[in-house]
Amino acid sequence: MIELLIILAKIIVIVAPLLLAVAYLTFAERKIIGYMQGRIGPNRVGPRGWLQPIADALKLLFKEIIVPTNANRFLFVLAPILSIGPALAAWAVIPFDAHLVLANIDASLLYVLALTSVGVYGVIIAGWASNSKYAFLGAMRSAAQIVAYEIAMGFALVGVLMAAHSINLRDIVLAQSGGIVHWFWLPLLPLFLVYFISGVAETNRAPFDVAEGESEIVAGFHVEYSGMMFAVFFLAEYANIILISVLAALLFWGGWLSPFQGIPYLEGWFAVVPGTVWLLAKSAFFSFCFLWFRATFPRYRYDQIMRLGWKVFIPITIVWLVVLGIAIVSKVPPWFN
Amino acid sequence: MIPLSYYLILGAILFCLSVAGIFINRKNVIILLMSIELMLLAVNMNFIAFSHYMNDIAGQVFVFFILTVAAAEAAIGLAILVVLYRNKSTINVDDLDSMKG
Amino acid sequence: MITEKVMFFVFASVLVFAALRVITARNPVHSALFLVLAFFSSSALWILLQAEFLAITLVLVYVGAVMVLFLFVVMMLDINLTKLREGFIKYLPVGATVALLIIAEMIIVLNANFGANKITSPMIHGPGYSNTAAIGGVMYTDYLYPFEIAAVILLVAIIAAIVLTLRRKVGAKSQSPAAQVQVRKSDRLRVVKMPVERKEIGQ
Repeated sequence: MIELLIILAKIIVIVAPLLLAVAYLTFAERKIIGYMQGRIGPNRVGPRGWLQPIADALKLLFKEIIVPTNANRFLFVLAPILSIGPALAAWAVIPFDAHLVLANIDASLLYVLALTSVGVYGVIIAGWASNSKYAFLGAMRSAAQIVAYEIAMGFALVGVLMAAHSINLRDIVLAQSGGIVHWFWLPLLPLFLVYFISGVAETNRAPFDVAEGESEIVAGFHVEYSGMMFAVFFLAEYANIILISVLAALLFWGGWLSPFQGIPYLEGWFAVVPGTVWLLAKSAFFSFCFLWFRATFPRYRYDQIMRLGWKVFIPITIVWLVVLGIAIVSKVPPWFN
Repeated sequence: MIPLSYYLILGAILFCLSVAGIFINRKNVIILLMSIELMLLAVNMNFIAFSHYMNDIAGQVFVFFILTVAAAEAAIGLAILVVLYRNKSTINVDDLDSMKG
Repeated sequence: MITEKVMFFVFASVLVFAALRVITARNPVHSALFLVLAFFSSSALWILLQAEFLAITLVLVYVGAVMVLFLFVVMMLDINLTKLREGFIKYLPVGATVALLIIAEMIIVLNANFGANKITSPMIHGPGYSNTAAIGGVMYTDYLYPFEIAAVILLVAIIAAIVLTLRRKVGAKSQSPAAQVQVRKSDRLRVVKMPVERKEIGQ
């Protein structure tokens, strides 16, 4: 019984800051894109607008939830839950430090990959249960897109587990120890780019946000949703952004390892910084990249997205896996000796 | 300790349900395909239960191969289904009798 | 141990219920979603059997890819549901009888101490045991050729699925980015040299 309570407490310790981070990521998005476009962004609620996400949450909480007449009521309610569930459950295996992980399971990378692929059901069911043309179009677009980029992403992760000789996230990070050049971003640079761009596509973020596409199909799969149910979709999207960022940091950028490892003087000075801070700093940068992309790129056309996924990314990853295999067999230093 | 026979009975129930599914949904090709998937799941359940209770990992390797072949089968089956629907605008088994075999 | 038993019965009953709904649901989309539920609960049962690699693979491959494909096809086809359910009641007695008969036989056979002397007690693996490594160790040595054949089967399936469904619409318009990039000025623009025309003065 005590054991269960401790696990519950650990879950709360992970999920509560995560939801707070999600709330402030929406705020950061509006502020950062505002500054990039020469505006100030929200600045009315609280000092410099810092209470804006709380005001937004309260507003959505008190809005009426409308279920369309011809919608499938059960599936309509189920869809947001199915989209946030996997986004939160994947955090169970994320290591924040060498010993700071809720469940250090053996096949944690596979587990994360499986859960991110389940997230598509929220979108498909939302689109179908809404019984609306635009929602359905968005769901179909999103399903095809996520399946296509799932494959490229899976292949990119195969490269990581080949290089690390493990599918455990903690062992993958430990395999990168030894300084910034030992991290996998250097030997796996093409795979990292494929992984990160696929991550953007898989979270349906700009420039790959045709599933929502405000200007073409109003808001895609969640056009019929309102109030808190809409907010849950929103939460899931941002939780997925943070998840992809943390995974990018863990798999390619040394996770909680200090970038100054192996450098004289600097290593000693920064030894006091706990590993979790490095992990959070790296993930914060990648989350920033998501917002930066949105402010920079125009939306891709749908057939171009599919072409990029199937005809560009998958061949790149396959070629690089062969190169990587040769490098591992011939023990290329400093990574594979 | 759960006895092995529980898992085997569960597999048998799943298999029989999918056989019954093929009997009662014999007009709808999609449900037929789903019943076949369910049947393979029942087989996999038995393989894994035996593998666990007899300490032999080979059963799990076979499940892996079954998963591979079943995925290929589903992909080709659905492709054929789509082509059929395009050409005949139906997926009713009774209407697919033009081959007169 | 009592928790293990409770979990087994919970997941097993969810699995049987989901399987029952797969074959009886009125709408194929519901059938597909119940099949997803069936895959999830059997994945949980496989974890109880300490086969976590296959449990995760089942979710990854079946729930994440195959069932998405199923849903995609089911949602895209505009099917006349009432016509397809003709004969449901007619065949129900036959189907139910066959199913119940086989289930009853299996339960009788399996409960009569089926092969109990051959079954050693299962090894409960400690936390250091890696199911993935164990499967990999066997698969890449003893079962290397079957593994490669499975890879070839997948390749054949990819090609077959593409060839079957690929159709080039007559008159469909599309762009070729390569051709667009390779366009030169001389392909589009013709510079004509002609003498300057001059108005005759004095007319």
